[in-house]
Amino acid sequence: MMTGLGATMVRAGRRLLSSLPALFGVLVFTFLLMRVLPGDPAVFFASGPNAGKEEIEQIRKQMGLDKSVPEQLVFYLSDIGRGNLGRSMMTGQPVLKDLRERLPASLELTFTALLIALIAAVPLGVMAALRPGSVVDHGVRLFCALGVCVPTFVSGLLLIYVFYYLLGLAPDPTGRIDVFTSLPPQHTGFLSIDFLLAGDIEGWWTACRQLILPAVSMALFVIAPLARITRASMLVSLGSDFVRTARSVGLSWHKVVVTYALRNAILPVITIAGIVFSTMLGANVLVEKVFSWPGVASYALDALLSSDYAPVQGFVLLMASLFVLVNLVVDICYGIADPRVSIG
Amino acid sequence: MRFVSFRLTSSVLATTALLLIATAPVQAQTRAETLRYVTGASVNTLDPNIPGSTRESFALSMSTYDRLVAFGRKQLDGKWVFDLDKITGELAESYEVSPDGLRITFRLRKDAKFQDGSPVTADDVKWSLDRCVTAPILGKAQLLTGSLTSADQFKVIDSLTIEVTLPKPDKLALPNLATVYPMIINSKIAKEHATADDPWATAWLKEHTAGSGAYVIESFKPGEQVIAKRNEAWNRGSPDKPAFFKRVIIQSVPEPATRANLVERGDADLVVDLQASDVQSLEAKGKLKVISTPQYNSITFVSMNNQIPPFDNVNVRRAIAFALPYDDMFKAALFGRGAPLFGASWPDGKPLNGIYPFQQPVKMDLDKAREYLKAAGLPEGFSTTFSFNVGQASTAEPMAALVKESLAKIGIKVDIQKLPDAQMSTQINEKKLPFFTEGIVAWLPSTDYFYRNFYTGNQRWNYSSINNPELAAIAQEARFEPDKAKYEEAGRKLNAMHADLMPQVMLWQPNQDAVMASSIEGYTYEFHRQIDYRDVSRK
Repeated sequence: MMTGLGATMVRAGRRLLSSLPALFGVLVFTFLLMRVLPGDPAVFFASGPNAGKEEIEQIRKQMGLDKSVPEQLVFYLSDIGRGNLGRSMMTGQPVLKDLRERLPASLELTFTALLIALIAAVPLGVMAALRPGSVVDHGVRLFCALGVCVPTFVSGLLLIYVFYYLLGLAPDPTGRIDVFTSLPPQHTGFLSIDFLLAGDIEGWWTACRQLILPAVSMALFVIAPLARITRASMLVSLGSDFVRTARSVGLSWHKVVVTYALRNAILPVITIAGIVFSTMLGANVLVEKVFSWPGVASYALDALLSSDYAPVQGFVLLMASLFVLVNLVVDICYGIADPRVSIG
Repeated sequence: MRFVSFRLTSSVLATTALLLIATAPVQAQTRAETLRYVTGASVNTLDPNIPGSTRESFALSMSTYDRLVAFGRKQLDGKWVFDLDKITGELAESYEVSPDGLRITFRLRKDAKFQDGSPVTADDVKWSLDRCVTAPILGKAQLLTGSLTSADQFKVIDSLTIEVTLPKPDKLALPNLATVYPMIINSKIAKEHATADDPWATAWLKEHTAGSGAYVIESFKPGEQVIAKRNEAWNRGSPDKPAFFKRVIIQSVPEPATRANLVERGDADLVVDLQASDVQSLEAKGKLKVISTPQYNSITFVSMNNQIPPFDNVNVRRAIAFALPYDDMFKAALFGRGAPLFGASWPDGKPLNGIYPFQQPVKMDLDKAREYLKAAGLPEGFSTTFSFNVGQASTAEPMAALVKESLAKIGIKVDIQKLPDAQMSTQINEKKLPFFTEGIVAWLPSTDYFYRNFYTGNQRWNYSSINNPELAAIAQEARFEPDKAKYEEAGRKLNAMHADLMPQVMLWQPNQDAVMASSIEGYTYEFHRQIDYRDVSRK
């Protein structure tokens, strides 16, 4: 067992190393892409009522845009090597600091949404697979179709309208915490954990209340792929020989469905969950906007619109690194779910 | 002796502070004493002078720093707006302009203290103004418009008196000192944080404040929120009272519908950037106070590049001016919420006065437009693009569709081009767009200022790229014209030229719709088009 774990770690490390060239490629590609896009950030940011040529030049110098593109690239890469992602014109802060403050917000939201989605989707998929063609199956199908059809910002606005505006049950949809509550000392950046560490149950509850609506509107959107995959792979595994054998020897329903069928059916679900997670992290920009969630995606969008190079580059690098990490975790999960699988 | 008294003071202070902390209830400030202001934008720097700073940063700095002088306020159609002609002292107790208009002497208030308790001295004022005209910051270009260009112009007479000298009697020198940039900084603190590369402490002041203003920054999260608490010692608004709200929360809420919900439910107190449709429905419900003020220092244009064919032909420009569906555009884009700048009638064909912006004598008249096109030698029309930026899509998109539809009737084929904001400003700066809509704003709206900055020179703000030496000369001369009647005459001349040359079409001045809880009072439309938190109070 120990050697198995050790081998997995070695393989994971090797896998991590082999992804470095890809990360470097992403780095250079994003850098060039931002320069090719039309729109001069210096002109945009020099928009005070009297900003003239001089101001534009000055901002250009400040952003290092007065140098040639290859020169800029060399400076950029050496900065990255020293862990400096540049400074955002938009917030006026170092990009690294912005991302470090905002990433936990996005991660907390995405994890919660994924958790809600999995808790809802796996049982739904299993139920649908157990009775294919039944009312339950059609019901699940309808629910999934609805979830996918309604864009997240529409479901978000709808949830706000019903639960905040009409019923007054939800807190005002403005960020991670009520403006009048003070923040706990920061340990993880995940408010729900930090509040618990600080022993502030009331604060924890405020943070959770803020989290529920955005997480649900994100989860609604991803329940469909997860439930459909669960159903499909459950159907395959329920129809397979080993389940027939298990049934014929009279094993309990629970043992047949959960231990044998589901465990075998879960691999594709993990793959999809990994992909869904990475997509959600980058694509939850609409939810972040609607709920004023101070996350990385809305930060990157604002930066993109104003051609603020450094934050966009930093964001893409972050996403690429996360994607590598998530894939690694998914591979390791494979190994746990099915010991026959080894990553190489 | 001094040492002892210092220790005594500090120990008294410490004891008081301890007592205060001990006795303060958990919720020290009640909701009623807190102003929660929500906005789609955000504060990105605590020093408005930093290039790239946002309008919200401008507004916040008005409350964290004081200037020498401030604008008064006046009522316009029953609504409070800033008054450019009434300049009152802020840190200055009084000021005196010499008869030749070349010297302004400011006497500082004796009781004015910075937020750290040290007195505001003439040295601080000199350092701050020097910084504004010397450091590579935004204030430089602004103060230039008031003939303030060099540190030599600011002279300390004694610890409470400072003298500003001018090369010419410039009407805009004094108003310029009331704008956002020439704020008075605690030079002792700032100098401590200056470095050899950054002698004016711009990096430090971006994240910290060292002022004497009505509010002290409690927490600053760029892009999210700013919380400021009242400076109890501040008394520049009324002789014996600090600002009303004990606490101000400025929170970024990007989604306009959410902002509307927040203020309607009473969770937010004040918002100025809602969508016109939301404002209308909130106004109809009647629960909230809605104060709509035409932004009389800003203008929305349909601009034509006077250097690019066919818009280099004056008759083409006139044709466009008579082919725009003004009323429909006004309704579709703004829901009629603003002051129109079209549809005037000039009985003798001459401008009614010398004030810019003025209501132009144009309305939709397709027959006239066709005639002008014929006169331009383009009876069959032509093709062009009409551009607007994504940030203004909610108003510009319906407008563009109407422009396209109407111009098609006289044979002009229009392709609508929607550009990301940075791309749009770049193309305007490079003078590449033939036909587009944009807006301008002037902090110090006087006729010559508008014409000098928006109708002359090969620079970004000259949207129409007009290059008319006569117009430029009149505007330049008017700048230093002390005689009111002559100034008015110059203004009339410029307006007549504008109506004749039609470099671009002024559409309207959009309203600033301030939506607030019914208990909020004192809202004033300010030159920076944001809230001055010192103005507002709760009933």
